[in-house]
Amino acid sequence: MINKFQIEPETSIVIDSVTLIEQLADQSARAGYYGLQDANLVLVETVRELQMDQEFKAGTGSSFIIAAWYDLVEKYRDDPKKTAKEIINYLRRPELKISMTDDEFEMLEQQLCSDANDTADTNGNVGEIDTVDNGKVSRISEQHIVDEQIMIIERLGDQIAAEGLYGLLDTNLLLAEALRETVKEGLVAVDADFLMMLSGWSGMIDNYRRQPKIGAEAIISFLRHPILKIPMGDDEFSLLQEQLASEVFTSESTQELSGNAPACAPLTDEGVKASGDEFSGPISRVAQELVDLLLLESEQVRSCLQDIIISDRESVLDSLQQAGDELERFSNAAKTAGFEGLARICLHVNVNLQCFLEQVDLFTSERLDLLLEWLGQVQEYLPSFNESNAGQLVVTGLTDGQWALPLSFEELAAILLQIHSESLAVGDQFEAARVETATDEDISIALPDDVNQELMELLLLELPVHTQQFSEAVQRLQSNGSEKDVEVAQRVAHTLKGCANTVGIKGIAVLTHHLEDILIACANEQRLPGQALANALINASDCLENMSEALLGFSPPPDDAKAVLQEILDWANRIDKEGMPDSETEEILAETQAASGDTGETLEKATMEQLQTPMVRVAAEQIESLFRLSGENIILNSQAQERMRRINNQLHAMQMQFALLQQLGTELEQLIDLKDLTGRSLGLNGTGFDALEMDQYNELHTASRRMAEAAIDAREIGLDINKELEQANEVLQYQQRLAVEAQEVVMQTRLVPVVSISPRLQRSLRQTCRLTNKQSDLVLTGEELLIDGDTLNAMLNPLMHILRNAVDHGIESESDRLSKGKPGKGRIAISFELEGSTLLVRCRDDGRGLDYDAIRAAAEKRGVMQPEQEVSEEELKRFILRPNFSTRTVTTQTSGRGVGMDAVYAQVIAMGGTLTMESESGYGMTIELRIPLPVSLTHALLVNVGQYRIAIANKGISQIYYSGDIQLITEDDQEKLLLEGKTYSVAKLDNLLHIPGHRKQQRPYGAMLLVQNEEKATAVLIDSVVDTLDVVIKSLGKYIDKIPGFIGATILGDGTVTPVLDLPELLRAPARAINNIYTNPMDIEESESMMLTIMVVDDSLSQRRALEQLLSDAGYKVRTARDGIEAVNLLAQVKPDLVLTDLEMPRMNGIELTAHIRVQSSLRRLPVIMITSRTTQKHRLMAEEAGIDFYLAKPVRDEDLLVKVHNLLEQATDRERKIA
Amino acid sequence: MQAEEFEAVDHTNADLPSRPQAEVETVFGIRIGSMGFLVSTAIYCEVLDKIQVNALPNVHPWLSGLLNLRGNLVPVFDLRIVLEEEAAGHIKRRLFTIDRGDKTVALWIDGFPEVKDSTLLQQLKELPPLPQILQQFVTDGYEQDGQVWLNVKFDDLFKTLGRHQYTTEEMAA
Repeated sequence: MINKFQIEPETSIVIDSVTLIEQLADQSARAGYYGLQDANLVLVETVRELQMDQEFKAGTGSSFIIAAWYDLVEKYRDDPKKTAKEIINYLRRPELKISMTDDEFEMLEQQLCSDANDTADTNGNVGEIDTVDNGKVSRISEQHIVDEQIMIIERLGDQIAAEGLYGLLDTNLLLAEALRETVKEGLVAVDADFLMMLSGWSGMIDNYRRQPKIGAEAIISFLRHPILKIPMGDDEFSLLQEQLASEVFTSESTQELSGNAPACAPLTDEGVKASGDEFSGPISRVAQELVDLLLLESEQVRSCLQDIIISDRESVLDSLQQAGDELERFSNAAKTAGFEGLARICLHVNVNLQCFLEQVDLFTSERLDLLLEWLGQVQEYLPSFNESNAGQLVVTGLTDGQWALPLSFEELAAILLQIHSESLAVGDQFEAARVETATDEDISIALPDDVNQELMELLLLELPVHTQQFSEAVQRLQSNGSEKDVEVAQRVAHTLKGCANTVGIKGIAVLTHHLEDILIACANEQRLPGQALANALINASDCLENMSEALLGFSPPPDDAKAVLQEILDWANRIDKEGMPDSETEEILAETQAASGDTGETLEKATMEQLQTPMVRVAAEQIESLFRLSGENIILNSQAQERMRRINNQLHAMQMQFALLQQLGTELEQLIDLKDLTGRSLGLNGTGFDALEMDQYNELHTASRRMAEAAIDAREIGLDINKELEQANEVLQYQQRLAVEAQEVVMQTRLVPVVSISPRLQRSLRQTCRLTNKQSDLVLTGEELLIDGDTLNAMLNPLMHILRNAVDHGIESESDRLSKGKPGKGRIAISFELEGSTLLVRCRDDGRGLDYDAIRAAAEKRGVMQPEQEVSEEELKRFILRPNFSTRTVTTQTSGRGVGMDAVYAQVIAMGGTLTMESESGYGMTIELRIPLPVSLTHALLVNVGQYRIAIANKGISQIYYSGDIQLITEDDQEKLLLEGKTYSVAKLDNLLHIPGHRKQQRPYGAMLLVQNEEKATAVLIDSVVDTLDVVIKSLGKYIDKIPGFIGATILGDGTVTPVLDLPELLRAPARAINNIYTNPMDIEESESMMLTIMVVDDSLSQRRALEQLLSDAGYKVRTARDGIEAVNLLAQVKPDLVLTDLEMPRMNGIELTAHIRVQSSLRRLPVIMITSRTTQKHRLMAEEAGIDFYLAKPVRDEDLLVKVHNLLEQATDRERKIA
Repeated sequence: MQAEEFEAVDHTNADLPSRPQAEVETVFGIRIGSMGFLVSTAIYCEVLDKIQVNALPNVHPWLSGLLNLRGNLVPVFDLRIVLEEEAAGHIKRRLFTIDRGDKTVALWIDGFPEVKDSTLLQQLKELPPLPQILQQFVTDGYEQDGQVWLNVKFDDLFKTLGRHQYTTEEMAA
């Protein structure tokens, strides 16, 4: 309403008011109410002045005040004596700024009173005014009453919304809307009774707060008043009533949870019990906690107020605004805690505060003191709230004239009474906190408007982790859990509750709150949840995970949340009343504790550690570049090492030269000395000494000495360099170790535990079981393995495919199984193991195994096999891996396995893996997948093969032999190697790699590698080993598919590129590239094209994603479009087998889209399902007229949708078959 | 290694003298045997000379091997083998790379790429008979002075050529 006034030009209202008041004055005069005439004239003057006053115009209160005047005039007509006082009070309102002295006001009041007597005496009819002008003014004024009421109702609505009473809010909005309609039609004025009831609306709401059930009834019966003409059916009314009746409790209990209510402190049992029998004596523990929290909250208000610097307008504005917000929060909290009277006062003070805000320039330090003083009184009041006169404290100051709207004495008295009556009950309402029925509000995961982004980010980070932990713990509880699991689950539920409360996500907070209570009850009674309860817990954990995914934007909110919450509520209520049901479990914890105590403890410890590790979210791209850079580092390092090695060689050569030089120097010296090449005869004669008596030196001597010394020096320097180089080498090697380590660490960031996909596998299994009406357990082993995230993701689809197949075609129905002597429930086990750098996934079921007859029939039908042709079972098995091996006929009929196995196989091959199948008729089937994990770094042998230089990863190589050791023998026309008494089969690398005829003559192989491949060792002959080194493996890029036997390529120290070979893989699948054959790019897509295609049209991203995931998990190919137009464009290219569309979408809605489909001759029969939240018959009819095949109203259960899709598709195929 | 770069002309560069923009639209024309192909100048291309191509064993013959282009592994395709074109005699073959980073792909071309004014190319109403492999990748064709120039979806073509077909027959002993 405030908005409305801002939109409407204020002046027009004022002008209207002026004329109206003038008319009122005239009429009053004619009726002999001269006092009233005076009062009206005074007001006219005032309003005219106010009209000039910009500041007042800018405010929002003016029209409100004028509107209220009519109320008074009306009242005066009925009861002049009482109203006279009120009229004067009204005129004294400070914001009207009427410049009259107190005496003058008194005179006016007397006049008003005496007028009443006079007119009553003379006319005997007090209601003269309204007959004067044919009731027109009265109607106008009544209209204003209605306007005013609308405003009040809307204000109430705002307040109610803040409290979280959404049903009540709806009611208010409905009423306001209806009133506006009736005002337009001018109907209101006719019915005085209705007006009476209308003015009692807020009273009705107050009643409702006190007695929700009765109050709700009264509210609804008022809403059904014929004048209002609210277009709602009986059932809708009763629904609303139900919501109203249950809401007050819900809201109280959820407000306890919601973040801004400080009353969310954990309530202990003693606290609740203790509060029950309290009367006026000491304050109960719960109440004390509430009081403490309220005091804390009130400090917030105080600190805001204390920030105010009167001289600074901005500061006043800001701080008052904040204080107002805080006060509102405080008032909400007070209300939640049961201090309704206090809350009422707070609201009143807040209204004052808003007035101060409107006239911020008039805000003085006196007014600030007023606020602070009041707050001080509140803080004084709270600790002693249960004393009889405590309430006086908080209200006395409020009648002060300094307030913009001082509290009237009537109101004061009412509030005091309320405070007194409720002071006894504070803290009590929490005892009955648990609701009986779940409402939409309770499952909402909508974010609050004022959500703290930082907290939200944190929540998004933690939510998946916690929900998963919860789910794991609960799943353990279902199978063979222990008390520890109860504790873990309870703790996680508690954490989740806390997180959700902090951010304000009600759906999660409410659900986890009740879950926690149930788990606490389990722990207290030392009982494990029985099967039924465990199932309920699992449903709840599924729901929590869905909620978490929805918050992350991966999927829409779960459709079954309300049902799940209801189930949990029922359990919680049942446990509240009856305790843990006895029949539920015979297992007393003590027994299981001994068995699983250890694992529980370690698990818990691991979980706790996980919880405490701080996490960071980083863009995947950044990790990729880190990874690439660390790889480059290693390559550069090995290049540097290569250089170093060459320098070393050269240094060595140089040192040899130095040594030679030194030796030559010495020789030269000796020669000079011994052979006396210096020529002794050179002038010794003159000295009289014999040559033996004195050594004589000349230049030759000196030069030869110096040379010898220089040679020694050079050698010394050479040695020094050597030492330096050795050190540099060490540094390089150290650096290499670090670079490798860095790469490993980066690599680890890409590792994900297998357990992260297990919820999806479990969910997929449960879904398929529900769809096929079979029962099966899924047991996963090796979940703790850490696997490269990309590989794990790429494997998820094939795995789910295999899982669906296992349930659909492997596991028999319960009765079949029992008749065969198997347990009624099937069992599927998926194990994950690491074999070196290969991931081995084994999926085993205990179903019926492959149905070879069905495969044979399908193969014959497709013409890939002649009838009567002899085919081994092994060959039949391979048939189902053939591309495009008919899936459609097989899926729709009940027949052997083979559904989409080609798709699985194609994916496995694309990942460079292998797939093997073992089937035992009647006992089940095992599928083994071997997927190579990406390796980034490996130790490798650099070998020469023909003209190629190839790096062979050391994987599987157990021994290297050089030529002398090789002893080949020929056995059964095949070369074998005899080594230490054992024979090995022999393979030649040049043959394996199909390197054509480089061996012109039978040259012996230089080396042999003994390669361990699975169970068998093979000798691989190669020409020579050049070097051994660590290599960084790079992928061959986006254009080159995986080449059999190659892991990738590497860049060597000299910059050349060599392929890196995986010998075991090469030995497993030796293959030759076929010349001149291209794979048609369509080929691979075609194997998918055999799958049925569903087009999902929805403008909500999360909805699209969720449907896409659901349907592709169910084995359909999914295409998506954002609206009708996009869908139409897509339909021109692809013809889906079914369309799922939303109703309301931008550009072209679902109805228009369907109409478009129905007029296209090629698409006319395309089944269309509409999923929408519109539930009315009107929408439904419109959709049916457009040609929708099926209309699903949200919430839709996944299974229902899948069944519907399945049926419609089957009908469509039947129809096609008939046409054909 | 010598690298001559043909980069897309950046029309937004304020330092360059302004020139009529709309009229002159250039494309690269590359020749492989008798066939001509067009490559948009908006894509980063390079001509490489004297760079070592490292051959791979056991791959299709049209995959010449891998290049180490500033630390990126770049596959080299020989379209002449794919298109069964005769060697163009005396003309030296050079490597032409398309795109950059890990998306780079290289192919052998005859001579240097030619810069063509697209307005002078006349669009063909009907494509001439093409080798089978090209048929699904050619989007349109143009003609200039008797030479046909084809627009090809190189990305799809190379992906198809890089997808190996292997047989397990005639396995090594």
